[in-house]
Amino acid sequence: MFKTARSKIQTWITAGAGTIAALFVAGVMGAFGALPAHGPPQLPPDAVIDAGRWRLQPVRAYVSHAGVHGVPLKPGQKALVLEVDMTNRTAQSDKGYFNVFTPDGIVLPDSSPMIVLTRDSTMTPELHPGMTERMAYVWPLAGDNAVPANLAFGVTAEIFKPRDNLHGTPGWYNPYRLGTVTLPVTDLPATGQPAIGQPGSGS
Amino acid sequence: MRIRVLGNLAVLCATVALSYGMQVTKPHYADLTAPIPIDGAMNDTVRARSFAVRLDKVIFARQLKASQFGQEKLLTTSGLWVVATTSLTATGASTAVADGTWQGPTGLRYHQTERLGYRQDMPPHGVDPGLDKRGLFVFEVPSDQIRGARLLIAARQFGPLDAQARISLDALPTGADGQPSDILPEFDLDAAPGQTSQGQTPQGKT
Repeated sequence: MFKTARSKIQTWITAGAGTIAALFVAGVMGAFGALPAHGPPQLPPDAVIDAGRWRLQPVRAYVSHAGVHGVPLKPGQKALVLEVDMTNRTAQSDKGYFNVFTPDGIVLPDSSPMIVLTRDSTMTPELHPGMTERMAYVWPLAGDNAVPANLAFGVTAEIFKPRDNLHGTPGWYNPYRLGTVTLPVTDLPATGQPAIGQPGSGS
Repeated sequence: MRIRVLGNLAVLCATVALSYGMQVTKPHYADLTAPIPIDGAMNDTVRARSFAVRLDKVIFARQLKASQFGQEKLLTTSGLWVVATTSLTATGASTAVADGTWQGPTGLRYHQTERLGYRQDMPPHGVDPGLDKRGLFVFEVPSDQIRGARLLIAARQFGPLDAQARISLDALPTGADGQPSDILPEFDLDAAPGQTSQGQTPQGKT
């Protein structure tokens, strides 16, 4: 009798080993998933940020009430401008910098900024390896949109894959939130022309 | 019996090693479909599949003057401007030559500048068989990427398995520090092609 019971237990264990392992793994993963998630870290605003293919040094952020760096504004609009020194860390010219910065906690009419080379107002030129250029991210805003005095910008980076899963080609994939950099936002009134919108709403 | 087991083990190990070696040495897909380089030197005619190119002159300048929509623009750079003057022709049928890349001595690739906008003498160059056409390629490069550089010219930017002219620039005169010996303070893209080098006084390296 005991002999048959033992062999039955053995059979159960052998047949159910996979199920037991699956339940165990699922339980452990559930336990890890229930841990409080880590928010993206705060990045120091005066340090150089290595974000995937870009090396970033934020310079200043401000609200402009007139056209800035050759970007025209519609009447009643203002613009949130972030100036940043960008260096291409890769081995070839690249312009994949459109999603690097996103202002947090602001309602944007259009989430994609206009990006300008401050040197001569060229729109979205390719940046060359190792040549640092000052770029301006310009987000047009509604004139009555309030901008906090200290604004957090989310920084998005990507990882390099020597072979991507679809074509086997090297490239930058899987964007993730590297961290948040908080900068003071000054309010620049329009110079030489009447201010449009509400002056002082920025700071 | 034991010899047979050992023999089987040896065969297994050899198979694993061979498979691993084949996996590691397998060429990259990007390399398998990369453009096919055709080497040449300065002032030689390099014949690619659909076009032929000859690099006539390379000018270095600290600033670039160009008129854009009727306005004079002075373009500055943190490195140097390189203006490569080429002579292009098509081999079989009319086509376009659109892609120029400056490859530095360590393999860094500087794509042609996008800061000049559309111009008649900038890529894409429409070329026809039997007709020589002057075409410019303008680059922005740091001054340490001049010596040992190569100029890559292709019909398209992403042209898998298409020909790419690869012109070595060893004939360029450079100083002991790797800087080009003649750097113009300013180069006017709209000046007549023949007068540019005489009209401007070359400035020695600084």
